[in-house]
Amino acid sequence: MNLMDRLARGWRFALAVVMGVTALGGVVTPLHAQHLLLPMDAMQANHLKAYGVTFGALREGVRAEWLLNYRGGAFLLPDLPSLRRAALLAGVTLEAMDAGAVRTLRGAMAEGNMDAVPLEKAPRIAVYTPPDAPPWDDAVTLALTYAGIPYDAIWDDAVLDTDLSTYDWIHLHHEDFTGQQHKLASVYRDAPWFVRSRERDLAMARRFGHADIPALKKAVAARLAAFVSRGGFLFAMCGSTETLELALAGRDVDIAGVTADGSPIDPAADGKMDWTRAMAFAGATLEMAPGVNAMSDIDGHQVNVPLRRQPLGTFALFGFSAKFDPVASMLVQNHRTVLRDYFGVTTSFTRSRLKPGVTILAEEAGAPWVKYVHGSFGRGSWTYLGGHDPEDPQHAIGAPPTDLALHPNSPGYRLILNNVLFPAAKQKPLKT
Amino acid sequence: MIRRLIGFAVVVVTRLGAQADPAAAVLTRAMDAENQGRVREAVAAYREAIARGAVIPGVLGLERAFALVAQEDSVLPALDTLLPRFPQEASLRNAQLRALVAVGRDREAHRAFDAWRAVDPASIDPYRDYARVLLFHGRMASADTLLAEAVRQLGSTRGVLLEVAQLRAGLGRWAEAATAWRDVMASEPYYETAAFYAMQPTPVALRDSVRVRWGAATAPLGARQALAQLEVAWGAPRRGWALLAALPVRDTTIAIWEQFAQEVERAEGWGVLTEVMVAIQRARPSSAQAVRAARIAARAGADTVALRLAREAQQGPVSERRVAEAVPIELEALARLGRAAEAERVLAAAAPALGPEGTRRQACTIAMGWIRAGEVDRARRAVREAPLEDVDAVSGWLALYEGEIGVARTALRQAEAVDPLRIEVLALLARTTATRSRTIGEAYLALARGDSTRAVRAFEQVATELPELASLALLSAARVQAVRGEAGRAAALWARIVEAHASTPEAAEAWLEWGRLARRMGDRAAARARFEQLILNHPTSALVPQARRELDGLAMEERR
Repeated sequence: MNLMDRLARGWRFALAVVMGVTALGGVVTPLHAQHLLLPMDAMQANHLKAYGVTFGALREGVRAEWLLNYRGGAFLLPDLPSLRRAALLAGVTLEAMDAGAVRTLRGAMAEGNMDAVPLEKAPRIAVYTPPDAPPWDDAVTLALTYAGIPYDAIWDDAVLDTDLSTYDWIHLHHEDFTGQQHKLASVYRDAPWFVRSRERDLAMARRFGHADIPALKKAVAARLAAFVSRGGFLFAMCGSTETLELALAGRDVDIAGVTADGSPIDPAADGKMDWTRAMAFAGATLEMAPGVNAMSDIDGHQVNVPLRRQPLGTFALFGFSAKFDPVASMLVQNHRTVLRDYFGVTTSFTRSRLKPGVTILAEEAGAPWVKYVHGSFGRGSWTYLGGHDPEDPQHAIGAPPTDLALHPNSPGYRLILNNVLFPAAKQKPLKT
Repeated sequence: MIRRLIGFAVVVVTRLGAQADPAAAVLTRAMDAENQGRVREAVAAYREAIARGAVIPGVLGLERAFALVAQEDSVLPALDTLLPRFPQEASLRNAQLRALVAVGRDREAHRAFDAWRAVDPASIDPYRDYARVLLFHGRMASADTLLAEAVRQLGSTRGVLLEVAQLRAGLGRWAEAATAWRDVMASEPYYETAAFYAMQPTPVALRDSVRVRWGAATAPLGARQALAQLEVAWGAPRRGWALLAALPVRDTTIAIWEQFAQEVERAEGWGVLTEVMVAIQRARPSSAQAVRAARIAARAGADTVALRLAREAQQGPVSERRVAEAVPIELEALARLGRAAEAERVLAAAAPALGPEGTRRQACTIAMGWIRAGEVDRARRAVREAPLEDVDAVSGWLALYEGEIGVARTALRQAEAVDPLRIEVLALLARTTATRSRTIGEAYLALARGDSTRAVRAFEQVATELPELASLALLSAARVQAVRGEAGRAAALWARIVEAHASTPEAAEAWLEWGRLARRMGDRAAARARFEQLILNHPTSALVPQARRELDGLAMEERR
């Protein structure tokens, strides 16, 4: 290719980039500026992929900044052709900013409840998910795949056998760590998928010398808690939140029904639970009846118990001080503050069962439950978000998968992706 | 006469009225003068009516009359006299507030409001009516302060729901406005139209907040109906129909569907309208409704649905008139589907109902059926019978098949029928100034006859003979090859387009289809590269969202 051809191609690409940015709703900008702003307010065409573009930049070794409480939690990146290309391919709105504009922006941020958090390194992510689970079976794998964020899928053997410290962030979704498969045996015991998963888990239990699935899952839960206490980040949704806590507190108690381990739940189990081992909850009461599809009173909605089931409402995200409480601020960055609720086997968390010191990130006003909580455990931290799929409020087994291309601005999925980027943030000393 | 009756009734029903008969006569005189623009005379007559006891209609008349001459505050002296006599009369208080706010005497307006509030401290009326006046004058912030004061003093907004709703919409607090309007519609369903107009300007990014509040199963029916109407106005009639389609079938529902159909028809959403019409026909079948639905389905290009409905309209004992309405739609659908022989049989059977002239008018439709099938001679024979004014499309197609593309261009442009193939042909012909091309005619004739091999060859030849048509002709050839399942040959054509005609709009489609082929063949890397080329080289193309969707699909496959 001669020089003229190269020049022509270069210009065509540059023109295409500018035209694309314009077409996407972005601001018409010079071909090269000093920074690119990914707005995360209503101007953003694809919020979810904006996280992917930022994550991709971090993987390339590019330093980014997360502008907390500024335009819905915008991202500021250096103006690089590779990032413009990635944004154009993903349909992400960007705005070019020169040094003057960035100075003005920083001035405005210094005045208000805003702050810029440096993002330095792409976190290494693992998702605890069965080997044969498709990506759409879990809201987090769905969001990560859609946003273009890579992750490793790990299962019981990896948790028990390998060094989890190679990961910064682990996600759990709808696994039942009490080993009772969410008490679905009464309805689905002959369903092929249910039979397959039970056989798979039993084989795994035997491989690691455990008598039954509950024992295997308790061991996995203990390893995950150890990962957090050594400085890891854990994000859990749906049923994994509640059951992980029960498995930790009930380590030495029979909390599994007869269909899981051949013996009924210890009738005195409630009194024997050791809640000091748990991360988020204390004093919960176990659901003893094998026919009642609930684990404990931690879940506020009890979706699968007809006479207890609570209707869905909306939940509101709390606002935090970006300068003094950056962690909580990062987790609630959003372009909406009130979100539609959605069910899961664990939809919400009963307020009275939370341990003191747990930070409530979102709640339903006036309800005895909260939706989104965060806390520290040892040297690490955990975040729990209730519900299964933010864009499928009534999610049922066998329901068609959510197509995130139809929800590129989903505020619920943004909460998940906030958690993905949060471990990338560099800790700044507090200004107090 | 009617005016006299109204005047009489007004005076009779007014609780302040005295000496009803003389006052009624004076009021009638005043209204006549007002209507004829004799304002001074009207003012005098209204004053007299007030003196004779018709206080409220008299004051309202005065207010109107003074407004005609832009002297809104001239009604105030009369009110100053009357209010001490009737301190709790809301109509008089309202008139005073309206006059004071209209002329910008805000402090006095507020004093008047305070005076009213002092007379009746537990009533919501002063707050509500004053807020209405302020809202009418676009004074959103003042109204907001006032309603906040009402909540503080009286503890609830129940009595001012409507004003709160209007206010929030006026202030652009869309989510709150949606909640308030939902509450209004729950207690007073007839406000659905007002709610629709108030919420129509909701910005795109905030429309979901309206959808959540008005579309929930627990929302009042009026709210769902208003949301459906909003979806039509926001350009998403299918979302609107999804809200209403699930309603249980009963008379109210059908009435709602009918109303929704009118909205969709105004917005020309023919596809959705067809679905609504089919639902109405299924719920309450009738031959008249079937004809109407068939006509709309034909307009939407849903030929099979139109055919079914047109036949449904002729079932059972129906009048010849109904047959005469339904048969042309049936013939049109058959012609579009290329079932000309069947259309001829239908026409022969319906001849008695259509009459000789009606039958002759269908000749063109039959001819179009033959054209679709590529039967040029039979089309030419059929069109001989047709009235001259109807022959444009037929003669256009016949000219095209014969290679007279100049004639075809003019004739097809004038044809009115909705026909995607005609649009495609016109798009091709519009790119050249040539007036003759046997090869183009051959290509389309071969297509009509189902001879895809010959069609592809002809399109490729067109690309050589008329370079200005090359990219589009090659794309047409590629489309035919793809439909035939000749993926490799189609790919070669797409490659030619993106290499030799990279800047044409056809290149975007070529990248997309070529990428899709690679994806089907399992070559994800090639597929990804082609979709990316489309986005990067043609960022303003309407196909970009499809390319992005394909990339998402690839990412999903790679994770499996």
